Amino acid sequence: LNYLWHILVLISLYALLAMSLNLVVGYTGLMSLCHAAFYGIGAYTTTLLMMRADWQFFPALLAAVLLSGLLSLLIGIPTLRLRGDFLVLATLGFQVIVFSILYNADSLTNGPYGIPGIPTPRLAGLEVNTPFRYCLFAGAFAGALGLLLRALVMSPFGRVLKAIREDEIAAAAMGKNVPALKMTVFAIAAAFAAVPGALFAGYLRYIDPTSFTTAESIFILAIVVIGGAGSLAGPVIGAVLMILLPEALRFLHLPEAVAANLRQIIYGLLLIVLMRVRPQGLQGKYGFD
Amino acid sequence: LLLLQLLANGIINGCLFALLAVGFALIYNTTRVFHIAYGATYTVAAYLCYFFLVRMQWTIPAAIGGTVLLTSLLGVLIQVFVYAPLERKRASLLVALLSSLGLDVVLVNLIPMFFGNETRVLRPGAEPVLTVGPVFLSGIQLAVLVTAALLLSLVLLLLRYSRLGSMVRAVRDDPILAVVMGIDQGQVRLAVFAAGSALAGMASILTALDVGVEPNVGMPALLVAAVALIIGGVGSFGGAVVGGFFLGVLQSLIVWRVSTRWTDTITFTLLILFLLFRPQGLLGTRHRLEEGTG
Repeated sequence: LNYLWHILVLISLYALLAMSLNLVVGYTGLMSLCHAAFYGIGAYTTTLLMMRADWQFFPALLAAVLLSGLLSLLIGIPTLRLRGDFLVLATLGFQVIVFSILYNADSLTNGPYGIPGIPTPRLAGLEVNTPFRYCLFAGAFAGALGLLLRALVMSPFGRVLKAIREDEIAAAAMGKNVPALKMTVFAIAAAFAAVPGALFAGYLRYIDPTSFTTAESIFILAIVVIGGAGSLAGPVIGAVLMILLPEALRFLHLPEAVAANLRQIIYGLLLIVLMRVRPQGLQGKYGFD
Repeated sequence: LLLLQLLANGIINGCLFALLAVGFALIYNTTRVFHIAYGATYTVAAYLCYFFLVRMQWTIPAAIGGTVLLTSLLGVLIQVFVYAPLERKRASLLVALLSSLGLDVVLVNLIPMFFGNETRVLRPGAEPVLTVGPVFLSGIQLAVLVTAALLLSLVLLLLRYSRLGSMVRAVRDDPILAVVMGIDQGQVRLAVFAAGSALAGMASILTALDVGVEPNVGMPALLVAAVALIIGGVGSFGGAVVGGFFLGVLQSLIVWRVSTRWTDTITFTLLILFLLFRPQGLLGTRHRLEEGTG
């Protein structure tokens, strides 16, 4: 049964990642390939504050959210005005830079060896240390932030985002400050991505840079696109599907190395096929026109 | 003296980067498809060469010839089976980009199923070292220099003077007008995918012969190609060459000051600086990067 809770924790984490990225990709129409960077920033900030400065989980989480949002300004301000494919390249660049810092700044992040022994979060004096408890914990976060995002995209702010996606020039002509709005939504998504980062660190109790690679960013983007960009349910459906599908492969008893590659091949193929026949994804509203 | 050696290394790397960048530019400038699977093409080429050379025991020229041919074919197949149908559906370029991303994931993950994850060496033994004036060059570095000089001038001359070259430039400048003038766009696309992929293949073979190959070499190669393209100036083929050399030399000189492990960081900081202050690149053209939604 612990296996089931473990799967649900993973789904919660990826649903959180995909929901926040969807705000940028699906609602505003900006293609970003650095979400794993913010995920990593969240995980490392929380971990370092808890272990080096003896902070509690929640204040550390809050600090990670703020830092991730702030760092997103660094990449967002120079690049968000770029056209689709150059934005992809620029965000990919940011992803590579963040990974290289996590990997190479030994004194801070312990480089490729990672950081073991991360304390588990405590909630009202209770250690969140079993898979079941963690599942409730992460699930609560996913639910709460999901509701928050829902309120956000249904608000006037959400409508302006969609207006930018559909026609940037028209939105600007209506008096909307398009660059500032893009930056705001990018920062919100980055701040959100820090939450699953912190949850991930507290769950595995060990982090290293390989969890926050370019491939991970591609994976998160694929969840959004396959589930359906620009819809509320899409990222959740995508996360469920993309976590369960490879788990199903487990029952074929393939060697671990082959299974890992096969998993990736399946989602790559899924991406190609969906782009051909249904670019808006399974549940999406936005087909990247 | 150390400076000269670093400069020489930088130029050799610049040769490889320039090949990569021109191949990418051929595809990007003409089709506007951000061909992410270019990285996978690069990886596949290195493994094909490994397969011919080590597993099949072919001679080096035969292995290189076979690899370049097949790599070129791979590019054509990608255009025919992935991009052309999207083009016919008038799908947006972002859709093409996402397909390309999927394709890259598929190809890169197919490779370890056949060749494993570990680094493969194409040629055993140490390289004889030549002394040219004050700098040391290995045989393979010399080969890089000669091949790149030949191929780059060939490509640039063909683009300028051949009939196909002017067709490619016409499609780059204005695809619709080019079609109106009776140019078969499909043919041009096939040509640039074939040539671009072959150039990536050549760069990949030369690198693999020197340092071997592992499954993750493609992404850095793609990034170098794309960054060199932007630094040189989108839309310009000569610019891509300049961008490649610029990046190669700069990386090599920076190694002098800081450790190699920050190379990627430097490349991308450079990219962001260029996007911020000189988005038209070194050899600027009229295309503006921020226009349209892609």
